[in-house]
Amino acid sequence: MEFEIASGFIRSVLEREFMQFAIITGVLVGLLAPMIGSFVVIKRLSLIADTLSHFSLAGLSIGLFFLNILGLPIQDPLYIGMLFAVIGALLIEALRSYYKNYKEISMPIVISLGTALSALFISLSGGFSTEIYNYLFGSILTVGRNFVYIISITTAVILLLILIFYRQIVIISFDESYARLLGIRVNLFQFFSTIILGIVISLAIETVGVLLVSSLMIIPVAAAMKIGRSFKSTLLIAILFSETSVLVGIYLSFILGWPSGATIVLFNLFILGGVVVFRRVFFKRRLEKKQQESQAI
Amino acid sequence: MRVSVSNLTFGYDYRTVLKDVSFEIEDGDFLVVVGNNGSGKSTLVKCLLGINPVPDGKVFLDNKEINQFENWIRIGYVPQKLDDFNYEFPITLNEIMHVSRYSKVTEEQKLALLDRMGILELQHENINTLSGGQLQRVFIARALINRPDLLILDEPTVGVDKENVEQFYNVVNGLNEDGVTIILISHHLSPGNANYTHIMQLREGRSFLRSASDLHAGGDSRHGV
Repeated sequence: MEFEIASGFIRSVLEREFMQFAIITGVLVGLLAPMIGSFVVIKRLSLIADTLSHFSLAGLSIGLFFLNILGLPIQDPLYIGMLFAVIGALLIEALRSYYKNYKEISMPIVISLGTALSALFISLSGGFSTEIYNYLFGSILTVGRNFVYIISITTAVILLLILIFYRQIVIISFDESYARLLGIRVNLFQFFSTIILGIVISLAIETVGVLLVSSLMIIPVAAAMKIGRSFKSTLLIAILFSETSVLVGIYLSFILGWPSGATIVLFNLFILGGVVVFRRVFFKRRLEKKQQESQAI
Repeated sequence: MRVSVSNLTFGYDYRTVLKDVSFEIEDGDFLVVVGNNGSGKSTLVKCLLGINPVPDGKVFLDNKEINQFENWIRIGYVPQKLDDFNYEFPITLNEIMHVSRYSKVTEEQKLALLDRMGILELQHENINTLSGGQLQRVFIARALINRPDLLILDEPTVGVDKENVEQFYNVVNGLNEDGVTIILISHHLSPGNANYTHIMQLREGRSFLRSASDLHAGGDSRHGV
């Protein structure tokens, strides 16, 4: 029975283009999200992903308003969503330097603006619709060829940038002031990483939606950092967890008919829970073993 | 590296922290700066590192005006608080060394440095698992990886146990003997076993510089225990 379901899934992937697009998109987002997420977590900026996804929603709603109500020839509201994610990211940076000692204030200010604009333009565009539902909770099974091209190019460019500037990015993330002392142009790096963050978030929205996008970036990293012993191994484990969640999530959503975004995130959380339990048991056993050894001596 | 500060006055907003501070040390010297909390020690360090903007003509590094100075990797710095580093996310000592390396340093030289610091066997360890004393040596090693001519240490022995403090001074004295100019900031008026050539006291932002030979007239020009 299980074999039949699995072979049905594989046949569907091989025969149907939309399934192939979903898998490619899922794998690429599954790679990008935890990679960028790691640097976000190190800098203790986990809330930035949520903030930017909400701000991106404002762009998507305005895009829908332009398209559906004003009838403007916009190809896809996604581009306006991307633009808004970048604007939101720059706004956060500006507010963080304005409130130097209360940097976290920037997040609620930007999230409020994003949510208010979203509510306004969703209402002006005719209220809740399937498109809005997809923006909120993701719709990986509906991504088109164009989106696959965009995300493939974006992934290639970001991977290349990370490879070239790996040392600078790592040192800025771990110790910004020391990076300045080494003569690294920290502000320039911050500026470009903020823009990249905005772009990745707006692309990841297609997969799991505005409300779940931060989980795709943060949860695999949160699980991996409890197991990894080095920076590189943690990054690789996070990518492994993320890819597993994406693929299992798509598979489960296919056979159970569940929403793909929610399934991916729930599986991500399942892995995190597994890691917490494993660590508890593993460390408890190790502690007990050590105690027995010391008693024997 | 020769360091020269002449009549430096610096403050934040309306509060003047450093008042007319002047001193000069030559290549290979070991200066200890002592003073109570709020005397301006860390502010002075930030001025020397180019973090605090100072007017032209006040600070010279290797006879070069600080605002024209560019070769910052020649200066190693161990901060007062290691809190600036984002802990908890796994990273090994080796990875820290790799991302901090900005000059031509061979693998052998790196291993020799770790060995000298007594942390060679820790190179593959996640730094979150290290003790306070080990961590401090990690950050000194990081400051030394680019083989600086000047090493600035801002209150490096705060919170470190006695045994590790002794080991720390052995390392710093050894580096100085190898020709590295040292500026050590210390809260204590008697800075442990530092084998210093000059000592400068900061009192309410004013500087009082004396050489070790003045303090121990007739003896060796280096102070040591």
